[in-house]
Amino acid sequence: MMYGDRGAQADASSEPSQLISAAADGDVAAFEHLYRRYSARIYGLCLRLTGNREAAEDCTQEAFIAAWRALQKFEGRSSFSTWLHSIAIRAVLSRRKGLRAKFEVPEPSTGMPERSDFAGSTPALDLERAIAALPEAARHVLVLVGIYGYSHAEAAANLKIAAGTCKAQLHRARQLLAHALDLEDT
Amino acid sequence: MNDTSRDSLEERLAQLPHEVSPAANLWPAIQSRIELRSRRPRPVLLAACVAAAAACLASMFTWAVLRRVQAPDGLPALAGVGTFQEPGDAKYIKARESLQQTFRERLMLLEPGTRAKIESSLAVIRHAHEDIRRALLADPSSPVLEDLWQSTLHDEIDLYDRVVEATQPAVRT
Repeated sequence: MMYGDRGAQADASSEPSQLISAAADGDVAAFEHLYRRYSARIYGLCLRLTGNREAAEDCTQEAFIAAWRALQKFEGRSSFSTWLHSIAIRAVLSRRKGLRAKFEVPEPSTGMPERSDFAGSTPALDLERAIAALPEAARHVLVLVGIYGYSHAEAAANLKIAAGTCKAQLHRARQLLAHALDLEDT
Repeated sequence: MNDTSRDSLEERLAQLPHEVSPAANLWPAIQSRIELRSRRPRPVLLAACVAAAAACLASMFTWAVLRRVQAPDGLPALAGVGTFQEPGDAKYIKARESLQQTFRERLMLLEPGTRAKIESSLAVIRHAHEDIRRALLADPSSPVLEDLWQSTLHDEIDLYDRVVEATQPAVRT
């Protein structure tokens, strides 16, 4: 379905900038190409941050819907992928905050990552499950800094915590992971 | 944890794939949500909610006038199953449920006073919608009632959408 009236339609082979521009003009097909291109990365991030498949799917959807609404505000000062990541992180934090306001949400014990979640890759499932079982704050920091390569400053800004807290949570996450994976005495 | 185990852990973390494909295709639900309403400039949230409720009240008024003209002896008995169609498309229903869930979650983030006003607007919309739906059961072929009924349906979705959008954290970079 085309909302925009552009002379040259963006397609799957178009540059991201063309797709972004077309989608910002209301071209849903262009936005779908962006979704196809970035969904696995965003879902992977959400899955690690939430430790729960269903929550990760919800957050991925919310992130892309929020991105669609905000596309006209995207100024290209960061890469589109970085921008999408920041939206996904906010979707995870918003979802958690919204749920917590109604009732206490248990730590993920169901919906944790399974081997089928990582079809086509060679994951360390024990590591994935150990990450999913971490306390939320520690998990968030570990995922952003330890897996996705954020600096402490970037992770702290995205998670709206102090850089010192970020470092402390990373240390805590590593200790808990090492314990869970029996790495302490190696 | 010693340096060796720490390095081993860092190495294992670094080797995890950044991309993980979701088991389900999430695009249809996303597409339904972004197509629920066309993009347009958005007024302030509360003003929009009040306006939506006012539109519903106007719909109710129009319906009341029509009822008086068409059925002076009062509301006719419900005629059973009408010919008008409730939205039954599975994609639509799923998208609507998803939006409602998000709306409920986001509503809890708002100040109690704001929340109460939105709840009140929503109650007006739903009351209007239900009244018009019942009128349609009695007079399923009425295009005016059909229009009014659809209008309240859109108003309700519009209100959900505005709350979700207004409570979305800023994403400008």
